[in-house]
Amino acid sequence: MRRALLTTWYKPHALLLALLALPLLAAAAPTDTDSVAVLNRRADRPTAPRRWYLPNHLTVQTGGGIGMLSIGTGLSLAHDRLDLDVLAGYVPRQHAGTTLSVVAAKAKYSPWKLPLAPRLALTPLSVGVYTSYTWGLRNPGKPGQYPDDYYWFSNTVRVGPVLGSGLSYVLPSTTAGHPHKLTAYYELATNDLYLISYAQNRRALSLPDIATLALGLKLTF
Amino acid sequence: MLHEFPACLPWLRDLLRSGLQLLAGGLLLGSCQLIEYSPNQAYVPVRERGQTARNLQLLGAATGTDTVRFVFVGDTQRFYDETEAFVTSVNQQRGIDFVLVAGDLSDFGLTREFQWVNRRLAALRPPYLTVIGNHDLVGNGRAIYQHVYGPLNYTFDYAGTRFILLDTNGREDGFGGRVPDLPWLRRQLADTAGARRTVVVSHVPPTDEDFDPALVSGYTAALRADPRLVFHLSGHVHRFTAGQPFHDGVSYLTTYSLKKRRYHILTVWGARQFRLETVAYGLDK
Repeated sequence: MRRALLTTWYKPHALLLALLALPLLAAAAPTDTDSVAVLNRRADRPTAPRRWYLPNHLTVQTGGGIGMLSIGTGLSLAHDRLDLDVLAGYVPRQHAGTTLSVVAAKAKYSPWKLPLAPRLALTPLSVGVYTSYTWGLRNPGKPGQYPDDYYWFSNTVRVGPVLGSGLSYVLPSTTAGHPHKLTAYYELATNDLYLISYAQNRRALSLPDIATLALGLKLTF
Repeated sequence: MLHEFPACLPWLRDLLRSGLQLLAGGLLLGSCQLIEYSPNQAYVPVRERGQTARNLQLLGAATGTDTVRFVFVGDTQRFYDETEAFVTSVNQQRGIDFVLVAGDLSDFGLTREFQWVNRRLAALRPPYLTVIGNHDLVGNGRAIYQHVYGPLNYTFDYAGTRFILLDTNGREDGFGGRVPDLPWLRRQLADTAGARRTVVVSHVPPTDEDFDPALVSGYTAALRADPRLVFHLSGHVHRFTAGQPFHDGVSYLTTYSLKKRRYHILTVWGARQFRLETVAYGLDK
């Protein structure tokens, strides 16, 4: 049975494109390497400051709906409070019926950082959104397979909120420059389809029913 | 390390030990479900697999009766609150052999949806049996259904009646001429040993535009040729219909979705006798 188009605002493809484009926009922004200001700054200091639009960390993660294993990179903005990440994930066939490849974009805002010890800091709360695209589904829906608006939802694009925290350890520095930092984090997330199921079944479903957990490591360089 | 604790603090040791056990148990049990690789993954714990075989074992064989009485209901898709009310109502009925759910157990073909439905339907007092619906086949739903329930096409015998349940969701196969599997259906209909009546159950009825148009005539002809056929049962349309749309003496029935807070009780006996009861429940909510 076909379902009516419940949510006209639901345009996951557009959101995915917008999020994926963020790092590209950043990279395309200022490339004025031969401007006087940059030359002066370079002359003043032996090591150039990190350019904000370049990726400054690598992540490896399991779960969170975007792979048994996903590997990502991203940039940190707004004094390291805002992380924009792109991740590529993989789910083996034994676990999903088919082999799945996932690409995800994630924006995460962490307003506070609490120092616990000289090298240890806690990020008590991060909030954000993610969106993902999945390849390899057995029946993703082909053009012409269904009449218009037959299924109102996308099989391949997911969007959802993310909530988490992390613990950072500043690694002993090897060479002069920015100290490297290792962060262990977890994220609780859900997705659009779980959220609508929950919203319409408040008696039968609870938040733990729709929550997913991700565990990850982030190396900031 | 715990055994090295000072003997004067046994309560602290016990507290720490039980805390650690709780944490480890919680992580092991909970995180397997919580750490989700993809909503389209097909993994479920062993105890939630093979529900069709499990329910058929619970059903067993009818003893000393020629009559079968079962609940017939349709699409449970994304109606979890309603499913709980349905289970409560059915559990108040007496003399029900089993419950038949005519497909679209899930709405998005996701593992968690199948689990949400199964955990609620598992509370039914009678065993329940399912047939796959079109919503169960989107994404990787086919593999999930096979894990949670079992084969897409199967049969079972009860009280002299052969129930033939099959995938008729042709549109999900791109109308490729393979769904429904007509040679399989003909083989089941031709096997007359042990049953004096036949009931065919599918999700999409052959009158629907989601049934492979190239297979409608072959499907209806196969049913027409079976003199033991009582009726054909479907879901998909979310409402009750009954008639002989192909004017060939074959009765086609469809039933309500869970949203409609109604279900049918069908009783089959004799040569091809049947009675249809409609139960309405919780309509005031």
